[in-house]
Amino acid sequence: MCKKEGLVLHEKDNVGTALNDLTAGSKIPVTKNQTITLTEDIPYGFKFSLHDIARGEAIIKYGEAIGQAKDSIKAGSLVHIHNTEGQRARGDL
Amino acid sequence: MFLGYKRPDGKAGIRNHVLILPVHRMVNSVAMQVEKMVRGTKISITTGEVGRSSKDRETIARTLLGLALNGNVAGVLVVGDNRYSCKELNHEEMAEIINSTGKPVELLDITESGGYYNAITSGARKAHKLVLEASYYRREPCELKDLTLGVKCGTSDPTSGVAGNPVVGKAFDLLVKAGGTAFFSETTEIIGAEDKLAKRCVNEKVQEKLLAAVSQIEAKAKATGEDIRNINPIPENIKAGITTLEEKSLGAITKSGSMPIRDVLKYGERPPGQGLYFIDGWMSSLSLPLGMAAAGANLFMYQLGGQGMPDLAPPMPAYSAGLITPMMYLTGNPRTCLKAEEFVDFCSGDIMEGKSSIEEMAEKLMESILKLASGTWTKTEIINLQDPVEFYLQDPCF
Repeated sequence: MCKKEGLVLHEKDNVGTALNDLTAGSKIPVTKNQTITLTEDIPYGFKFSLHDIARGEAIIKYGEAIGQAKDSIKAGSLVHIHNTEGQRARGDL
Repeated sequence: MFLGYKRPDGKAGIRNHVLILPVHRMVNSVAMQVEKMVRGTKISITTGEVGRSSKDRETIARTLLGLALNGNVAGVLVVGDNRYSCKELNHEEMAEIINSTGKPVELLDITESGGYYNAITSGARKAHKLVLEASYYRREPCELKDLTLGVKCGTSDPTSGVAGNPVVGKAFDLLVKAGGTAFFSETTEIIGAEDKLAKRCVNEKVQEKLLAAVSQIEAKAKATGEDIRNINPIPENIKAGITTLEEKSLGAITKSGSMPIRDVLKYGERPPGQGLYFIDGWMSSLSLPLGMAAAGANLFMYQLGGQGMPDLAPPMPAYSAGLITPMMYLTGNPRTCLKAEEFVDFCSGDIMEGKSSIEEMAEKLMESILKLASGTWTKTEIINLQDPVEFYLQDPCF
């Protein structure tokens, strides 16, 4: 087995996980047929989008919704608290 | 197979402690003096029970009794005073229950012993006798069915749900299939993943208990008026790349493996039989090890992410917070393995490197667990420090 740079956990996922500190412009193979060009640096363990995600669309990891996009997210972008919100246990909503 | 201590009630122990058990907060100081004087003892300093609801006092009682009945305990010195007894916390009743299991127990009542200094002397003498008796025990071959493990994941990062927790989950599967017992918990951290767990409950009643536990904690979270991200995921999780509570939960539940969930237990409650159990509890590193020790865990596994921890030899989140139950640290993050090597007992980081599978690592983890169960010390067990622990009490104080 050779070390991969990005990991997609489930076929339904729209985010991948960085298995290294990845730099903007890198082309990351995520499935047999798909390579993503990163638009920004993705630190180890952080998520990047596998395709364009519309505002309000669910962010899917482990095949399940982990939250919702706060803004539209371009493919290859960092997906984290600046552009994603959780939906559960929210006292502020 | 491992080498453990066989107790009169049929339970197995992997350590051989005498427990000093103050039942009322007012007798803690006497118990602490006794513990200092007598080698081979461990103390459970109890939390304040006055001004608390009956439900919370029951939780304290259940936790104290559970610790006493844990297989890692060879004998118990129960310390109390009739003046402080209440219906939930009665030291004489507690000693009777322990005695009924065949475990050696001594009772120390402060007033009856002649006050503070006389009680210390009397307590030390009783503890001395219990420790001598405990030293007669020899380790004997025990089977996997005699072993009880508890797990918590902590300082989680994106390796937790991929390379750390799933290895524990596979090891739990091996243990439960062999007839052993396993606990997982952290109710807040199944929010967003509860449907997956509900499908694994053995019947509708257990399923309802699980979903009710989640609704209750979610309602409490909403009642704070805060965005849950101010509270959980914790800052270290967010710094490491975990974005939402749902994401954390979906990674966290992989530590439970794939076996049926037999029941939902209260904090500190002992299970009715063997198998996999969910404990309705708080994730705190200082609270959950205590609750799992009370439920009967022989070994507490702390599955670290660790990416959000300091980069140079970080302190661990807790030391011996299981009191009588040793804490084993493990991680699936290769970077955490390196920076926390002094305290980490098992590393499954090869999975992240693409060098090993979850199944291979789970086999190795079981070997490592059985060594610790047979007497090898965990790395943090060697540190001569016990964190102050927190009972999981949920009602307001008055």
